[in-house]
Amino acid sequence: MIRYLDQIRAIVWKDLLLEIRSRERIAAMGAFAVLAGILFNFSIDTAIVRPQDVAAGLLWMTLVFGGLLGVGRTFHIEEQDNALLGILTSPVPKDAVFLAKVAANFVLLYAISLLVLGVFALFFRVSLDANVGWVILVLALGSLGFVALATLFAAMSAGTSMGETLLPILVFPLLVPMVVFGAGATGRLLGGRPFSEVDGNVRMLGAFAFAAVWIGAVLFRYVVED
Amino acid sequence: MTAPAPAEAPTAGASTGAAVLEARGLVREYGPVLAVDGIDLSLDAGEFLTVFGPNGAGKSSLLGMLAGAMRPTRGEVLVRGTPMSWSDGEWRSRVGIVSHRGFLYGRLTAAENLRFYGRLFGVDDLDHRVTEGLARVRLSERANFQARQLSHGMRQRLSLARALLHDPDVVLLDEPYTGLDPSAAGVLRGVLTELRDGRRTVVMVTHHLKEGLELATRVAIQVAGRFAWEGSTGGIDRGDFERHYHAVVEGGS
Repeated sequence: MIRYLDQIRAIVWKDLLLEIRSRERIAAMGAFAVLAGILFNFSIDTAIVRPQDVAAGLLWMTLVFGGLLGVGRTFHIEEQDNALLGILTSPVPKDAVFLAKVAANFVLLYAISLLVLGVFALFFRVSLDANVGWVILVLALGSLGFVALATLFAAMSAGTSMGETLLPILVFPLLVPMVVFGAGATGRLLGGRPFSEVDGNVRMLGAFAFAAVWIGAVLFRYVVED
Repeated sequence: MTAPAPAEAPTAGASTGAAVLEARGLVREYGPVLAVDGIDLSLDAGEFLTVFGPNGAGKSSLLGMLAGAMRPTRGEVLVRGTPMSWSDGEWRSRVGIVSHRGFLYGRLTAAENLRFYGRLFGVDDLDHRVTEGLARVRLSERANFQARQLSHGMRQRLSLARALLHDPDVVLLDEPYTGLDPSAAGVLRGVLTELRDGRRTVVMVTHHLKEGLELATRVAIQVAGRFAWEGSTGGIDRGDFERHYHAVVEGGS
């Protein structure tokens, strides 16, 4: 078990170190998040719609689209020198490779989701006073579920000529429950409603996230085996 | 020197019973394309098999199956008499693979690349092994250079250090001499000689006849997925072998 965890840590360390040095994915996701927040802000007619009423939905859309920009490229860093084969021919269990990739992607996306929250708080006049802790929890669960699914499908589409096009087509339908529960909970929490009103949503979001991680860990070996 | 005679037994070495690495009836198909067509081989400790063959002969597919990186369509690979399971982590930890693709990360330093793979393989005393590995391939002074800053030959040497970091019993090499300058080829030759003399089992696929012949204890010529010829290197003259190779390849294609 210690060796299993050390193998996961090694891959997470490697992925994050490569990202710190290249800043390719974090820059793309961060720039997209900030720009989307600004554009959404200008696209709303505040005479008709209160920004805070639509903020949660737009925040989740920003996360989903921005997340795909980064998570979708998670296996690109392995392609340059066929390094994924180096990992797959090592004694690391395939589910450990998946869990490591999910963990590294989660760190990146969660950082971006907090940035997005800040951007929306600024532009959409959303108050974070009452429920900021719960909103951060909801974003964490949503980010986890998203990266688990997106990592699995990124592995599937990585070897295809239409990978970047294929990924959203494969992932978006499966993200519907996450967006429904996540946006619903976020909207109410940002509106100052008590946590008890969104307890069910958060539980479903948590169940979705852990199911996505578990299913991904089981299926990943079939995706990467030749 | 006499011309190499065709091997009497295409599975020479199979009689030892406890072969380190054995393949039985290996077949690999890619849709309608038959890349490997029923190859048998058996290798003991200290044996160095070089597989020659033209492009498209199925050499890399054979190596991929021996490495456990590619599932055979039919047939099996046995390790000391036990069929290799696809998810056999124990087997993987005893194999080192050198490919013309180095499995390296360009933005990690040479030492970081080795340390990363060392952790995946659960190597003990990792810092010492990394230092030793870099020295072995004469890259100590480049330990803190990112892999993308190294020349092709240096990257290939680093890839060799990566493959040997966990002290594998079996080393599989896919065209390791491709693009190497004489100095880098000399380092590779030295390390491969150490491996052979250290009773490691080595399989190398290449179409470089000179380099392939000089270290091998056995050679095979693979054509259209099959071993068209196999034999020991004892007494083989390079010129004779070269003529024989062309005759076999042209006859088998």
